[in-house]
Amino acid sequence: MPALEAAEKAAGRVEYMGDLVVPGMAHAKVVRSPLPHARIASIDASAARSLPGVICVLTRDEVRADPDIEELYGFVYRDAPLVAMDKARHHGDIVAVVVAEDIATAEAGVELVDVEYDELPAVMDVHAALAEGAPRVHEEFFPIAPELRPVEGTNICHRATLARGDLAQGLAEADLIYEDEFSAPPVQHCALDLHAVISQVDDGRITVWTNCQSPFPLGRELERIFKMPARVIVPYVGGGFGSKSRDRIECVITAAAKLAGRPVRYVLTQEETFLSYLRPAYANRMRTGVKRDGTIVARHNTFYVDVGAYAISGARSANNTLKVAIGPYKAPHARVDCYAVYTNKPPSAPYRGLPTTQHTMSYEVQLDRIARDLGIDRLEIRRKNLVRDGDIHITGDYLRSAHTHECLDKAAAAIGWDRPLAPSPDGRTLRGRGVSCTIKYTLTPPRQMSENSAEVVLGEDGVFETRIGTVNIGQGSDTAMAQIAGDALGVGLDSIRIVHSDTGRVPVDSSTTASRSTYHMGVAVVEAAGRLKQQVVEAASQLLERDASELTVSGEGVVGPDGDGVGLSDLVRYVGAPFAATGDCVVGGTYRAPDGQDYPIASTFWTFASCAAEVEVDTETGQVRLVKAAAAATTGTAVNPQSIETQLEGGVGQELGPTLFEQLVWDDGGQLINSALLDYPLPTMETMPTYASELVDHPFEGGPFGAKGMGEIGSVILPGAVVNAVYDATGVLFHDIPLLPHKVLGALDAAGRG
Amino acid sequence: MRLDLTVNGAVCSMDVPPSTTLLDLLRDYLGLKGTKEYCHSGVCGACTVLLDGRAASSCSLLVGQADGHDVVTIEGLTPADGLHPIQQAFVDNFGLQCGYCTPGMILLAKALLDENPAPSREEIIRYMGGNICRCTGYAGILRSVEAAARERGSWS
Repeated sequence: MPALEAAEKAAGRVEYMGDLVVPGMAHAKVVRSPLPHARIASIDASAARSLPGVICVLTRDEVRADPDIEELYGFVYRDAPLVAMDKARHHGDIVAVVVAEDIATAEAGVELVDVEYDELPAVMDVHAALAEGAPRVHEEFFPIAPELRPVEGTNICHRATLARGDLAQGLAEADLIYEDEFSAPPVQHCALDLHAVISQVDDGRITVWTNCQSPFPLGRELERIFKMPARVIVPYVGGGFGSKSRDRIECVITAAAKLAGRPVRYVLTQEETFLSYLRPAYANRMRTGVKRDGTIVARHNTFYVDVGAYAISGARSANNTLKVAIGPYKAPHARVDCYAVYTNKPPSAPYRGLPTTQHTMSYEVQLDRIARDLGIDRLEIRRKNLVRDGDIHITGDYLRSAHTHECLDKAAAAIGWDRPLAPSPDGRTLRGRGVSCTIKYTLTPPRQMSENSAEVVLGEDGVFETRIGTVNIGQGSDTAMAQIAGDALGVGLDSIRIVHSDTGRVPVDSSTTASRSTYHMGVAVVEAAGRLKQQVVEAASQLLERDASELTVSGEGVVGPDGDGVGLSDLVRYVGAPFAATGDCVVGGTYRAPDGQDYPIASTFWTFASCAAEVEVDTETGQVRLVKAAAAATTGTAVNPQSIETQLEGGVGQELGPTLFEQLVWDDGGQLINSALLDYPLPTMETMPTYASELVDHPFEGGPFGAKGMGEIGSVILPGAVVNAVYDATGVLFHDIPLLPHKVLGALDAAGRG
Repeated sequence: MRLDLTVNGAVCSMDVPPSTTLLDLLRDYLGLKGTKEYCHSGVCGACTVLLDGRAASSCSLLVGQADGHDVVTIEGLTPADGLHPIQQAFVDNFGLQCGYCTPGMILLAKALLDENPAPSREEIIRYMGGNICRCTGYAGILRSVEAAARERGSWS
């Protein structure tokens, strides 16, 4: 079923952040550091302030002068000043904000702010940041989330280990030990709807309009920083892919709005988004011990995530993936070491499951190397090691709804794995196939708690208004929640109205991230709708003098067995007030397995998936073309199957860029050199493969009508399958992406295959 | 500068600074916000409009270049009641998710199908390859344009 809002979107009538106007609003532009690391000697904004049309300039002086503003932002890691205080920590760091009557004047004002920098030595990658005596990006650490553990005296803002079994024993039991290093450079999300904010500070209250993915945590952070209540309103969002999860720009612009005494609007340019948040650089060392028959007995993944200048979300994202870094495999002795490291790059942001994507590439590519070395079929080695229901994961979780073998079989079959490859038409192209399997967590609290609620209200218009915190970012959440509410109430979609992501109108939700909404918000909606339906039936039972069990609810009203009944509007009038009910989703705690034992829940659900890919490698140009890509994923009972299929296509299609050609490049001076789209190619319809999306849709116990989440899984599984397909085609194994033509050509030449 | 151009069938005579882009004219002066902005460098196609029936990136045109010409935006394509068949094809075939690139994509498809009423799949891919979508992986967009092409006889 197409999204409820699809027609409005096709007509161009949906309002995104860039389309919103608040009466009296002024416009902001930002002074950004040209240097990756510098002490700020002085800021002279007097010329900008005297420019006609400039309303105010926010610098560190104004922030320091206001006792009611906290300087540091961050609800996961509190390390980002609203504007640079003592130093700038990356090219593009926010130094000052100019507020003016119009954008052109604000831009002119930016040019007039005179900042004197004393350049400091920069650390531009993890290697440099970890070197003995490396310059420190931050002198102090301010972790907020309890699981984050910095290493004093270093640039390591978080270090953690997860282990099960005895790694040394496992390695000793292995017949062979394979060790590889894998890496991937930073890329940008390129959500077309530019990150934007309008902030208004009025009568001791903050109202912020923004296209961020975490309105409730943001509202609380605004309240902490400015010591006044805040309402956050999120309109339709034109994609985010993680980039809009936890930025600080809303707080920066609120400080500017407070100073200006006017609503202030700020829209980042595309280049500014590249300087503000990115998918971080990743590197790891993967050691796997196997028996000669291909059984994995030990695995150790040590991985490094470059969180950039601020760990506002990167450290926790890295930590979350400890849970999945060994893959969907039975490794009785396993250990994962995670290092999140500060550098002078722009801050990192989540990116569709990151760095699960890079973990998956690593263990899947290594597994193909092992299979070839041992002479074992690539599907067989996976079947031998894949987890099944009832296996215990590295986290201690009792795995459920795994269906890993079905995912693998369906993905392989969908690209015709057993059929011979088409011969090269001209003798210069090589074809090959590869597969990749993964396991993905969802954001799950460390203790039992409710992270989100939903409310259903039946008013006099006879419509069931369903109020949810989930941000509609293009993933189809309004539609899925309307379907779930409709099913729970027994009414059609025309009787449901969704109100989304306004902290002043809907109950709390932690975030629209980590593939979490269908499950978590769905459970809350089912509960709220069930309670509301009970209220409606009870009221009708009094009015109609019928037993509640005899009554049926529909979009028109409540009817009894003899066709007697009452319309919904009339029922509301009879009661004298709207019906309202809330529901919530309690997660965490432990799971009582069929064996009678209690197991921890490190992830409310686990999503499993496989990808099979076919590529064509041009041996004269080094160009890799993705010909076919099939994705199979465990979805639970599919709420909206076509929507899920297109979500899988979209994930695969997006990840094709970082796999084959996207990467951000910094020069020796720490300047990002390809921040303009002209220098940063993205996938187009011309690079699109033939897709196949396979839903492995067995009901998931506890999910709303058996559903679970899958929003990120399509992108997570692609790179491993492509690198393996290139290995199959050429015999050359790559340890890093993107597979740029010059790299492929060089490797083919070196291997004598060109 | 003084401008005379036709936007969605209406004659617009107005005075704007010559440095104004066609995109800013449409969005800021005329309030036609269905035309979107992302890269502001003529690469992504979110700002695509029809200029004398051909697809053009409105962010990369100064108003003077549109002076005396005929401009159609998504608002101009959308009938007073319901949707244009191309728009309907995008809805029916999951040719959109977040919807931000959609107005530009639909106008690009309109330009294609006006120019070439029965395009092959390869011709669609080459033509539509000019605009960026970040959500769909393009499969739904291709299905939508193919569906619209099959219905090409039903509209002028």
